[in-house]
Amino acid sequence: MAGAKNSGPILKVVGLTRYFGGLAAVKDVTFDVPASHIFGIIGPNGAGKTTLFSMIAGALKPSEGKIVALGKETTGEPSHRLVKIGIARTHQIVRPFRALTVLENVQIGVYFGRKRITNAAAARDAALDVLRSVGIDNLAHQSSSILSVGQQKRLEIARALATDPELLLCDEICGGLTHSETGAMLQLLRKIRDAGTTVMYVEHDVKAITSVCDRIMVLNYGRKLAEGTPEEIQRDPAVIEAYLGTRATGGNRDQR
Amino acid sequence: MTATATAKEENRPRKWQSIVPLAAGIIALIVLPLSLSSPNFIRLLFLTLLWVTTSIAWNLLGGFAGQVSFGFAVFYGVGAYTTALAINAKVNPFLAFLMGAVAAAIISVFLGLPTFRLRGPYFAIATIGISEAVRVVMTNIGFTGGASGYRILEARAFQQFEHYFTALGLALIALLVSAKIANAKFGLGLKAIRQDEDAAADVGVNPYTNKLAVHAIAAALTGAAGGVFARYAAFIHPNGVFGFQTGVHILLMPVIGGIGTVWGPVVGGFVFGIVEEEIVASFPQIHLLLYGSLLILIIMVEPGGILGGVRELIRRYRGRRKK
Repeated sequence: MAGAKNSGPILKVVGLTRYFGGLAAVKDVTFDVPASHIFGIIGPNGAGKTTLFSMIAGALKPSEGKIVALGKETTGEPSHRLVKIGIARTHQIVRPFRALTVLENVQIGVYFGRKRITNAAAARDAALDVLRSVGIDNLAHQSSSILSVGQQKRLEIARALATDPELLLCDEICGGLTHSETGAMLQLLRKIRDAGTTVMYVEHDVKAITSVCDRIMVLNYGRKLAEGTPEEIQRDPAVIEAYLGTRATGGNRDQR
Repeated sequence: MTATATAKEENRPRKWQSIVPLAAGIIALIVLPLSLSSPNFIRLLFLTLLWVTTSIAWNLLGGFAGQVSFGFAVFYGVGAYTTALAINAKVNPFLAFLMGAVAAAIISVFLGLPTFRLRGPYFAIATIGISEAVRVVMTNIGFTGGASGYRILEARAFQQFEHYFTALGLALIALLVSAKIANAKFGLGLKAIRQDEDAAADVGVNPYTNKLAVHAIAAALTGAAGGVFARYAAFIHPNGVFGFQTGVHILLMPVIGGIGTVWGPVVGGFVFGIVEEEIVASFPQIHLLLYGSLLILIIMVEPGGILGGVRELIRRYRGRRKK
């Protein structure tokens, strides 16, 4: 935990709730993301991870509750305004601008993010630097439509980092990756944190998240179930129950 | 740094490729009418240059930003009527063109505010409705003569070359604006919006304001073209400048030439401008049907238009030579 410094929270979420019809997909969730941490959010399928993520990323308006990021209230703000404040996201299902090259994809982030670069040559250089930092600068002039899944996930991160965020929101960035690609991706997340960007990372793969996160929150049925360090979370009986179910004893399994 | 170097080298021949035909084209467009001095030919070239201007303008919104509008006749008409009213009020004609451009840009913001909340086909449908509504309103407004049209009285002798070079100048301004936008921050943002509006917003592009801005620029150019046309024709009527056909023509040209490129709309505008009159004269009953069939054919055979088709041929030719 070399990079995990103890400064104030970069993101404060208070009583966040979202209803779909009568169903509460996320109900009264409150947590803080400390600066320079990798903060993980896990939960079984349907726990409300994506709904929570979408609200923080500005893709979905909350029904109730408040989001404060980098000292500004950002509840219900659209994503292009969040980028200007210093919050960028990646997509679970990659969404590159397929008609553009890898470099141009990242250049858009440089132009429209917080770097305030409008000169084309300077923007290209800045975009190349970002590509180098995520390790796909050799693909700069390729069309973004020909990349492999792993490369596309890196492009997602590069495009987000190009906007110069203080808080990077990652949605299941390891989904669909091989074992070794996952390891490299987690290493990249650590590198991003150590460079000073806080990471909020949503994932359903427990192994990936416990190995990389400084702090973890567990969601279940739209509510916060637990929060703590990876060690604390892995020992928590409520978490074990949510993921593995209760012990089946004797013959009363059918009656449950 | 090696990657930047190659990027710059890649750009250099491309620049040459466009400067040479551009210079040749401008010279031809100046020398040809002066030497031939056939009024009918100059009239055809004049109208073609206006079509080229509107084609380039439409492509800014429809090609770069991917927002397909059938409503550009509104801007052409607003520009034409504003210019006509201004010239009749003894305003300098060039100032009158500018007023036409500004009026069209202002109208575009009012039309864009509600319609840019719609996406894809819904936006396109809304522009059809607006265009027709404006035409109907204009046929019923009294002070511009309603359906019977409006006449421009200019206390000057008719100088065809002045009109012609105005149109040439305007087309060059439109081309310059288009080329500037294509290679700038603004243009890249628009291309991002065309491909994925939500993903564009996620990297900081405000889709709504960027669409409004490019809409206004496109409307201004179209309005100025409408104004130049009005002064030349000295008579305009709603079913002409505000006609749905006008909007369809403006959309058709960039599609023919190559949508989303700088040169495609220019090629499309020239082809359409030169062929259009012949088609209308030869097939007066079915010329719209021909356009419709042409549109379907292009989208099926070569969505990149003429320019896309030529590039594909060059690519194949080069590929074969390498073997």
